[in-house]
Amino acid sequence: MRYVHLYFTCIKRSMISRLEYKKDTIVALFSFFFSNLCSLAAIYFILQSIPALAGYSLAEVGFFYGFSMLPISLDHLFSDEFWLVAYRRVQNGDMDMHFLRPVPVMFQVFAETFQPEGFGEMILGVALIIVCASNLTVTVSFGSIAVLTVGAVFGAVIITSFKVALSALAFIFKRSGPLLQIIYNFSNYAKYPLAIYPAVIRMLLIFVLPFGLFISLPVDTLLHGTHDPWLLCLAIILCAAVFFALAVRIWTFCERRYESTGS
Amino acid sequence: MIEVKDLTKVFRKPIRGSGLSGMVKTLFSRKYEEVRAVDGISFTVPDGEIVGYIGPNGAGKSTTIKMMCGILTPTSGSILIDGTEPCRKRQQVAQHIGVVFGQKTQLWWDIPLIESFKVLKEIYQIPDADYRERMAFLGEVLDITRFLSQPVRTLSLGERMRADLAASMIHNPRILFLDEPTIGMDVLVKEKIRLAIHALNRTYGTTVVLTTHDMTDIEDLCSRIILLEKGKIIYDGPLTDLKKRFGNIKTLTLTVPAEVHAGTAPVLSPEVAVSEEDGRLVLRFDADRIPLEQVVQYAFRDLRAMDMKIAEISIGDVVKTILEQQEAEHAEKV
Repeated sequence: MRYVHLYFTCIKRSMISRLEYKKDTIVALFSFFFSNLCSLAAIYFILQSIPALAGYSLAEVGFFYGFSMLPISLDHLFSDEFWLVAYRRVQNGDMDMHFLRPVPVMFQVFAETFQPEGFGEMILGVALIIVCASNLTVTVSFGSIAVLTVGAVFGAVIITSFKVALSALAFIFKRSGPLLQIIYNFSNYAKYPLAIYPAVIRMLLIFVLPFGLFISLPVDTLLHGTHDPWLLCLAIILCAAVFFALAVRIWTFCERRYESTGS
Repeated sequence: MIEVKDLTKVFRKPIRGSGLSGMVKTLFSRKYEEVRAVDGISFTVPDGEIVGYIGPNGAGKSTTIKMMCGILTPTSGSILIDGTEPCRKRQQVAQHIGVVFGQKTQLWWDIPLIESFKVLKEIYQIPDADYRERMAFLGEVLDITRFLSQPVRTLSLGERMRADLAASMIHNPRILFLDEPTIGMDVLVKEKIRLAIHALNRTYGTTVVLTTHDMTDIEDLCSRIILLEKGKIIYDGPLTDLKKRFGNIKTLTLTVPAEVHAGTAPVLSPEVAVSEEDGRLVLRFDADRIPLEQVVQYAFRDLRAMDMKIAEISIGDVVKTILEQQEAEHAEKV
């Protein structure tokens, strides 16, 4: 309870920081919106020349793309500060302040920034889902709604876990940003149906970097009923729990190896 | 109470070649050199004491402080802060200590100062009444009330340092670690900071560990100093004892007629060293061995002094002399 209250205090602080630079916030919001719009336009043009992708229609591929934006935007809202940890805050010795406070360091990093730009992505994602769904004939069941919700929320937990674990490596290597970037980029693969990939990559995206598990499989389940929704829910939740526990372990292990900088 | 025992911190650094080709070779070599930043030090600081932790750049002062507040994990040895190990129970220790690094601010850069304090109030779970009392106290002794509504980014260095000090004291810590709190400050700000540290120590009995290169800070604040060099403690004790180690050294600076020179002037005793600086004569002697009165008489009668300044050896000179001696010893060993 204390931490919930503290989180909101810190988030308020972060919002005040953002509003100090009003124009910056507005520009960031719009740039995010437009960069997403551009990538959407890109797929639209490609798909127009190829009317079907591995048996998926334009509306279906759009649905995949829109849905993939939900877990990504959720993660973006809450854990953007880890990019800075991975790229420069450890290297600069800038983490000292967090070690001086009677609150877990990882909590403080989460509470350091709340990224409202994430809302831009989320709105775009939802809009795309609605537009595409209206062009599809899907039978919406309770199970398929559940699997999409679980996929979005726990998918965000899985993405965040990767971010936590990989940025923690900066405590040892001083900079782990490029590594985090590489892994994060794999989420781009999961924006399309898994069926378009060779088996190796498909396995990779389900069992190693499970972006496919929480993006492609739930959407497939909704559109074509490929999997048992409840079993898939369970798999995603378990996977998220394991990844998050592992990430916390890695973080606490690495945290003690922080070396700060000379002053 | 701070108890430090056999504390050691070793940093491992790859041995690097210089230039681009050297850097590329470094990538494939597994040679490391060990830098012993802090090398087996032990000391105890009782409650309510103000200790000056001094030494040249790179002696290991900041490293020790970072270990005491839980940022760095010691390689070996132990630290107990009121009976708790900071590297094991960092959060518990953090609740009772305050830390200022003069070189880096710990306040949020973009927001008005008062907002930073509000967040700290939540972080340290300070009750409303205590918070108001502390803010009133700090507002007065550090004079920060005037710029509470400004973003930290816009504060001057002196204002920012006072704000940082206030932030480190807001939760009424039992121990305060100050790493160069007066670096880059003007005389007036330094004075204000010293008074605030005094006031805090008197009012709340706060223990203070202070590193500085400004010897006036030390003379003003500290009853005890710990002198560190190359990771080892070379002196730990009261300030007055350190001065006494060199005897009761005094210097007389004399304005003399132009024809009086150090080499040709009459000699009083081998105990008095005579030298010339900027056309003035400087007499250096141990007042316990030869009475001051006798030297003063000699200065006026034999050297025909027209004006005179008497000075005690400064703590800065003492520290400088000790460090020079250490360096000479090192050189002999090599």
